[in-house]
Amino acid sequence: MSTVIEIDRLSKSYVVPVRGAGVRASIVSLVKRKTRTVEAVKEISLSVEAGEVVGFLGPNGAGKTTTLKMLSGLLHPTGGTASVLGFEPWKRNNDFLRQITLVMGQRNQLIWDIPVIDSFDRNRVIYRLTREEYRERLDELVELLELGELLSKPVRNLSLGERMKCEVAAALLHHPRILFLDEPTLGLDVSMQRRLRTFVEQYNKRTGATVLLTSHYMADVEALCPRVVVIHHGELLFDGKLADLVRKFSAQKTLVLELEESQEDLSRFGQVVSQEGSRATLRVPKQDTAEVTARILRELKVQDLNVADPPIDEIIDQVFSRGMA
Amino acid sequence: MNALRLLVVYFRIGLLGEAQYRVNFLFQLFETGLGMASVLAAIWVVFSQTDTLGGWKPAELTALIGIYFIVLGSINVMVAPSLQKFMEDIVTGNFDYTLTKPADAQVLVSLSEVRIWRLADVLLGAVALVVSIVRESMVVGWVEGGKFLLALLAGAVMVYSFWIVLATLAFWFIRVENILQIFWAMYTAGRWPVGIYPGWLKWTLTLVVPVAFAVTVPAEAVSGRASGTSLLGALGLACVLFAFSRWFWRVGIRKYAGASS
Amino acid sequence: MLVPTFTWGAVMHWLRTLQAYPAFLRISLLSNLQYRASGAIWMIGSILEPVVYLTVWSTVARSQGGSVGGYTPEEFAAYYMTLLLVNHLTFTWVMHEFQYRVQYGHFSFALLRPIHPIHEDIALNLSFKAVQLAVILPALILLGLAFHPRFDLDPLSVALFLPALAMGFLLRFLFEWTLAMAAFWTTRVTAINQSYFSVQMLLSGRVAPISLLPSWVAAAAGFLPFYYASGFPVEVALGRLSTDQVLRGFGIQLVWITVAAAVISLVWRRSARKFTAVGS
Repeated sequence: MSTVIEIDRLSKSYVVPVRGAGVRASIVSLVKRKTRTVEAVKEISLSVEAGEVVGFLGPNGAGKTTTLKMLSGLLHPTGGTASVLGFEPWKRNNDFLRQITLVMGQRNQLIWDIPVIDSFDRNRVIYRLTREEYRERLDELVELLELGELLSKPVRNLSLGERMKCEVAAALLHHPRILFLDEPTLGLDVSMQRRLRTFVEQYNKRTGATVLLTSHYMADVEALCPRVVVIHHGELLFDGKLADLVRKFSAQKTLVLELEESQEDLSRFGQVVSQEGSRATLRVPKQDTAEVTARILRELKVQDLNVADPPIDEIIDQVFSRGMA
Repeated sequence: MNALRLLVVYFRIGLLGEAQYRVNFLFQLFETGLGMASVLAAIWVVFSQTDTLGGWKPAELTALIGIYFIVLGSINVMVAPSLQKFMEDIVTGNFDYTLTKPADAQVLVSLSEVRIWRLADVLLGAVALVVSIVRESMVVGWVEGGKFLLALLAGAVMVYSFWIVLATLAFWFIRVENILQIFWAMYTAGRWPVGIYPGWLKWTLTLVVPVAFAVTVPAEAVSGRASGTSLLGALGLACVLFAFSRWFWRVGIRKYAGASS
Repeated sequence: MLVPTFTWGAVMHWLRTLQAYPAFLRISLLSNLQYRASGAIWMIGSILEPVVYLTVWSTVARSQGGSVGGYTPEEFAAYYMTLLLVNHLTFTWVMHEFQYRVQYGHFSFALLRPIHPIHEDIALNLSFKAVQLAVILPALILLGLAFHPRFDLDPLSVALFLPALAMGFLLRFLFEWTLAMAAFWTTRVTAINQSYFSVQMLLSGRVAPISLLPSWVAAAAGFLPFYYASGFPVEVALGRLSTDQVLRGFGIQLVWITVAAAVISLVWRRSARKFTAVGS
C-alpha cells in the first residue's frame, strides 16, 4: 500500500468581524470594525493509505469541512503542510484536480434547468474525457446507481434523493482516485442513505479509490468507515478503529434486564433509562459493571441479563459534550 | 483549444435550457424594441430642437444607438449572466465546485450561463445600425468596416475585462452584485457620444468604465472619423486591461482560498 | 381600505395603523443602514441620468445661441438638479420587487399580518430615502460647482413646492403599487414594467422639460400622471409655472391619487385571493 494523503500540523485560522445588534452598533461598525481570530483547524497530522475509507466525525463547526476543503485544494492553510497524491492541493494543479472529486451534500453542481445528461456532458469536456471513456463510465454509473430514466429529466424535477444520485454520478465520471464526500447523505431518507452508502462501498472495492467522508449520521460512518478521525474545536482527538473509539470513550455500559416480576425501584443499581413491565434498561459506569451485575443477580430474580456498549451516537454525543480534553 | 470546446458546450446547454421557452424570444424582442424606441424618442426630442449635437448628425447618432444595443446584447448573452451567477455561487458556496475542476476557473466562470434570447438586443442593434447607414447613404468601405470591427473588438475585450474586475471584487465583498450597477449606470451614458460630456465624466467613461471604447469609438469608426492612432490606442488599452483583469482575478482566487498574499 | 372614510371607526383604524409606523421605520432604517454601501451604488444611476440630459440640453442650448425653449444652460442645470432631488424622493422600486415577492412567496407572510402591506413599503421607502440623502446632497453640491445652476427662488414657490412634492410622492407610490399588482396575474411583469418606464421616462420631464417636447406629446403629458410626480414639483419650485398652472396641477395630482387609491383598495383583495388560490 502507498500513502496518498500526508498531513503534517495542518492549521487554518480566520479573522472574522464582530458586530453588535441595534442601530447604534450598525452606525459604529461603519467607522470601525472589531475582529477576532477563529482557529478552525489546529495542527492536525495524519496520513491515509490508498484505498482507505476514513470517516471524519465532529459536531458542526468542529473543523471537518475546513480540513476537507484544504485537502481538496479549496482553502490555503495558515500553517503546516499537506500532500495529496504527491501534490500540494491548494496549488490546484490540473493533474491533481483530474484525480479527485468533491461532493457536498447541501450544494449542487448540476445545472438546474436542463436535463441531467447535459450537465454530465459539460463534465466530459471539462475533464477532457474521450467519447468512449465517457460512454463506458456513464453506462457503469447508470447501472450501479439506477439512473436510467433520470438522465433525460431537468434537474429541477428530481427529488432530493434522485438529485444526489446524479450529483454523485457527475462527480465520478472522471474516475477520481480520491473522493471527498462532505455530508453526502444530508437530508436524504433512510433507504436512500443506505443505497448511497452501499454504492460508495462498492465503488471503493471496485476501483480502490480512497474515500474521505464527513457525516452527521453515525450510521454512514459505522457502515462505511473502518477508520474514524474525531475532530473537535479544530483539534484531532482520535484517529483509529471505530471499535477502539467506543472502547476508549464509552465510560458506561448498558444493562438490559428481563425480570420475573416487575420491580418497583431499580435506581439503587444505576441510572434507569427505561422500565416497562418486567423489562428494564440501566446505565452503569464501566468500572462498576462487574460489581453491579453481581449485586443484581444476588438481589433480584433475573430471567435474562445483557451487557452492551451504548449506541455509538450516544458515545459520540458524550465525547463532544464533555469536551474530552 | 479547450476554452472553445467549453464555449460550444455551454452554448448548446444555454440553447437547450431556453429553447423550451421560445415565446420568451418574442417578449425579449418586445422589451428590447421598447427600450430602443424610448432611446430613439429621446434623440427625436433633442433633434426637434437642433440639427447637430456636438457635431453628430441624427443618422450618426442612431448608428451609435445600434452599436450601443449590439454591445449591450453581447454582454447580456453571456458575460453578465455568467458573472452574476458566479457572484451568487460565491455566496452559496457552489463556487467551490468550479475550483475543483481541472480547467481555468476564469474561463469556466465566464461561460457558465448563456441567455440565448438576449441575442434580440444584438439583432435589433444591427438593424438600427444598418438602417442608419443605408438611409444616410453613408459610405462604409473596407477601411471603415475594418476599423469598425477592430474598434468593436477592442471595446468588447475592455468591457469583458472590466466585468471580470468587478466580479472579482466578490471575493472580498459579499453583496457585490450591486457593484455591477456601477457598470449599468455608467453604460446608459453611452447612448450619447461621450465627447459632449464635461471633462471629468468624459474621462471616467473612457478610462474608468470603458464605455467610450465600447460604443463611441466604434461609432466614430463607422462614420469615418476614427483616426488610426486612436484605434491603436484602443487596442493597446484593451491588452493592458485584459492583462490587469487576469492578474486581479488570480489575486482574488488566492484571497478566496485564504492564501496570505 | 385606503380611501379614507370619515366615520369614528375609520379614524380609530387609521390612528392604529399610524402607530405601526415608528416600528416599521426603525426596522427599515436598520436594514437600510446595513446595506448602505450597496444603496449608495444604486444612487450612481440616479445621479448620472440627470447629468447626461443636462449635458445634452446644455450642448443644444449653446449651439442654438445660448438658450433653447426658454432654458439657458444654467437654467437647465437648476432644472435637472432639482429633478434629481425630486426623483430621488418620489421614485419607488415596488414594481421590480413585487415579482420576487410573488415568486418566492414572501406575500404569504404579508397576508398573515393584520395590516395592509403598503404601510411597511411606505416606511421602507421613506427610510431608504432618508439614508440615501447622505449621498444625494453632497452630489448636488458637487453638481452645483460643476454646472453653475441659476436658481431664482421666491418664498411662495418654495412653499408650494412642498405640497407638490408630497403629493407627487403619494401619487407615484400609489400608481406604481397599483401596476405592481400585475405580478399576481401574470409572470410577464418585466414587459409591463418596461412599457411603463419607457413612457414614464419621456413624459415625466426626465428626457426634457415637457415644454420642450413636441406639442402633442406635451399635451398628453399634461393630463397623464407621470409629469405630476417629477417635472411638476420641479417647475413649481423653480417658479416656472403661472398660478393657474400650479392650481390645475394640484387638482390633477389629487384626481390621480384618488383614482390610484380606489384601484388599490378594489384590486388588492382580489389579488390577495388570487395569490392564496394559486398558493406559493
